[in-house]
Amino acid sequence: MPAYRSDRWFSFINGTFFIVLCLTMISPLIHLAAVSLSEARYANAKLVYFWPKGWNTEVYSMILGMDNLWRAMGVSVYITVLGTLISLVLTSTIAYALSRPSMPGRKIVLRGIVVTFIFSAPLIPNYLLVRSLGMENTLWALMIPGALSAFYVIIMKTFFQGISSEMFDAAKMDGCSEWGIYARVAIPMSLPVIATIALFHAVGQWNSYFNALLYIRSKDLLPLQVLLRNLVMEEQASNMASSAEVSLVMTPEMLKAGITLFATLPILIVYPFLQKYFVKGASLGSLKE
Amino acid sequence: MVRIYHKLTSNDALLLLLIALPGILHFLIFRYVPLLGNVIAFQNYNLFAGMADSPWVGLKHFQNMFTYAEFYRILRNTMLLSLYSIIFGFPAPLILALLLNEIRQKWFQRPVQTLLYLPHFLSWVIVGGLFVNLLSIDGFLNTILGSLGLANRDFLTIPEYFRSILVSIGIWKEIGWGMIIYLAALSGINPSLYEAAMMDGAGRFRQMWSITLPSLLPAITVLFLLRIGHVLDANVEQVLILLNPLVRDVGEVIDTYVYRVGLLGAQFSLTTAIGIFKSLVGLILVVGLNALSRKTTGESIY
Repeated sequence: MPAYRSDRWFSFINGTFFIVLCLTMISPLIHLAAVSLSEARYANAKLVYFWPKGWNTEVYSMILGMDNLWRAMGVSVYITVLGTLISLVLTSTIAYALSRPSMPGRKIVLRGIVVTFIFSAPLIPNYLLVRSLGMENTLWALMIPGALSAFYVIIMKTFFQGISSEMFDAAKMDGCSEWGIYARVAIPMSLPVIATIALFHAVGQWNSYFNALLYIRSKDLLPLQVLLRNLVMEEQASNMASSAEVSLVMTPEMLKAGITLFATLPILIVYPFLQKYFVKGASLGSLKE
Repeated sequence: MVRIYHKLTSNDALLLLLIALPGILHFLIFRYVPLLGNVIAFQNYNLFAGMADSPWVGLKHFQNMFTYAEFYRILRNTMLLSLYSIIFGFPAPLILALLLNEIRQKWFQRPVQTLLYLPHFLSWVIVGGLFVNLLSIDGFLNTILGSLGLANRDFLTIPEYFRSILVSIGIWKEIGWGMIIYLAALSGINPSLYEAAMMDGAGRFRQMWSITLPSLLPAITVLFLLRIGHVLDANVEQVLILLNPLVRDVGEVIDTYVYRVGLLGAQFSLTTAIGIFKSLVGLILVVGLNALSRKTTGESIY
């Protein structure tokens, strides 16, 4: 590549641009960490930027003692793990059947699925359905209705079809039923796509709060995101932190910052391990039917 | 029982149907039954009477909807938000992918990508918390502005700023994620095309214009069509978390209105009518633009 002078300028500006952009992605989190670990008088005087002033872990000992936060995290882990399993079973079975030429009514089912991709019912009918199924105020309401999406079914079906048909024929010769082919050939051979869909679904399930807002009434069943919304957005934390005994060591902002980071931690911990999957997976998403 | 089981497991077609059955039932129950549930838009739906016993009122709710000033306000807000996020948010990941592609140093590219993807994995509650912290009257941005001697403002409660802030935060969160598909498409371009172009004396921008962009056109078209179909779906999780009473006039969109008035206020029939209107607009746009795109570029989503 010939190195023109203008090219070098472009590369320099481009590189700088990306460094600045990356800083905007990470700096809000660093600022929160610094605030949550500072002494209250510095935080109050707005003197904390990206490094804690003074040192104070009081916020975190308070957070670690919050039973409702732990319970909410438990609920979130539960619905994420179980919800993802349900989604994978439903997605892979229907996708497998649709990928097999001998599946009766294949075209009709496939069309029926694609229709849901472009046309979906509004919020209220969905709410009334969940209610009439008796799922309101149960965790099922957060896991079952969203378990299947047309998008993932089509991605997985496309992947199954890409597996060479000789594999399937050989299994058949060896006396495998369709059920056996699904369990022993199709699934083991499509672990990358399964991991990707599991990851996408799990992230969505972990992060969503709107469904819980619609369906969950009981405090014991609130997932982490809803509790977080109540604590961080609706001033409950302020009330907690301004009770006389704590206001000297922490400000409401410090407590909010700490809670936000605490809730971000699970994602930040698993994130580096997931990266190789989701990059591959996101490009799978560009596949056409 | 045993005979039925044997028959089922020995017949491929039947067995496949059985394997697909849970999924098919799920689609029927959770996608198609709610479509039938749309009929409550033609009733005065009463939660206790149920669908069967609620009185039919024909098109009353649709007529009400169009005579209702509030409806135009939320429709306008939804369209404006959507328009801004298409104008600014749609090209953003594409531009970013093109720029990142110009960086040849792998040791630099990888960590940059990692950081750019990160916000996509944070929930809207967390992102909302981050930006409320950043933009509130005693937030971080005001601290910085204050030290420069500029006036303090509570940015999220100023109606003139609200839509821009909402769209910007949306771009901030999803820009890195959005560029993945373009990056995948970019890596699939045959390098010999670039070599040939360089031989012909094409510079960096000429190559981008004549090789890179045409190669990305299919991906761009498909993503654009998918985006258009959701033109009236604001991201309810995002808007709801950042919306506050001071900016309701400019910030309330169809989805948050349906939640607030329809669900919390129990106006089931009227808001279902609004929901149907929203779905129809999306459907018409997708079908229309899909046909247009198939004619002009040959690309379509179905």
